[in-house]
Amino acid sequence: MQALDIKTIVPISPVAHAQPRDSAKWDVVNNMEIAVEFANADIEQARKKVLGVTDVSCFERYGVKGPQASQWLADHELAIPSNPNSWTRCDQKTLVLRLGSSEFLVEDQLGGLASKKLANNTSRIAGVYKVPRADAAFILSGREVLNLFSELCSLDLRATSLLANDVIMTQVAGVSAIVLRQTINGEPVYRLWCDGTYGPYMWEVLIEIATELGGGAVGLASYQN
Amino acid sequence: MKLLTCPMNGTRPLSEFIFGGELREAPDQKTCTDAEWAAYVHNRHGAPGDKKEWWYHSPSGTWFIAERNTLTDKVTRTYLFGQKNLGEENVVEEESK
Repeated sequence: MQALDIKTIVPISPVAHAQPRDSAKWDVVNNMEIAVEFANADIEQARKKVLGVTDVSCFERYGVKGPQASQWLADHELAIPSNPNSWTRCDQKTLVLRLGSSEFLVEDQLGGLASKKLANNTSRIAGVYKVPRADAAFILSGREVLNLFSELCSLDLRATSLLANDVIMTQVAGVSAIVLRQTINGEPVYRLWCDGTYGPYMWEVLIEIATELGGGAVGLASYQN
Repeated sequence: MKLLTCPMNGTRPLSEFIFGGELREAPDQKTCTDAEWAAYVHNRHGAPGDKKEWWYHSPSGTWFIAERNTLTDKVTRTYLFGQKNLGEENVVEEESK
């Protein structure tokens, strides 16, 4: 019987079970198999303008907490948000979210390397504890995105209420989630994270509403270019 | 909708919170009698009135204390454990609309 080498297994997006296996185009990004194209580029661009939902669970992520976590991140030359429930961008390619007084989530955007560097640092520091992350992560774009949130979330997420660097931890579609506003390639979007086990459910809910409002699924490739 | 204010995350629907029971101080196990310990373990103060209670904001994982009148269901203050003497910004009200 042939031995299974776990290093050869490519993880699949936690959202994948809810996505069309045959009609979508799949690729491996950051060592995770993920849908990069659901329709041709023109259709996806049109969806993005109305209400596009993109699975970005493959972005590298690193969670850390503890009384020394802030200093430890600063030692790794990462910018630290000064207040809990806020976020900042580091080197344009990494988001640093402060989820509490001493807990952080670091997420690399495409091309970012900070999370990988943190993960490669295996030295044990007193007061610094790694938080394993298994998030389903989404980009929500388009002019109808607030109408989508009005159906799924009880908080006011308009720009006047959700400030540019605010992080909101609330329930979306009944699931605990993190929400923030971000700009990608000059385009204002919302970001959404939830536990990976809720990923397929969240995708189905988002896509159902997006389709009703004239949008739909958008592949990761539209953000890779 | 009933609302409760988390001292870390602000006012949220009650559905985001989980009740964690009354805040009760345990007697010193080294000095208390068996009867005092048994009373702590088995008995609860069920009479309605002003209570300090543990509440949990599940999306953020925040445990905090709410001072609530269990007869009127009126919350007068919420604060992180050990921070009850912070300023008025931590005083919150339960609202309904």
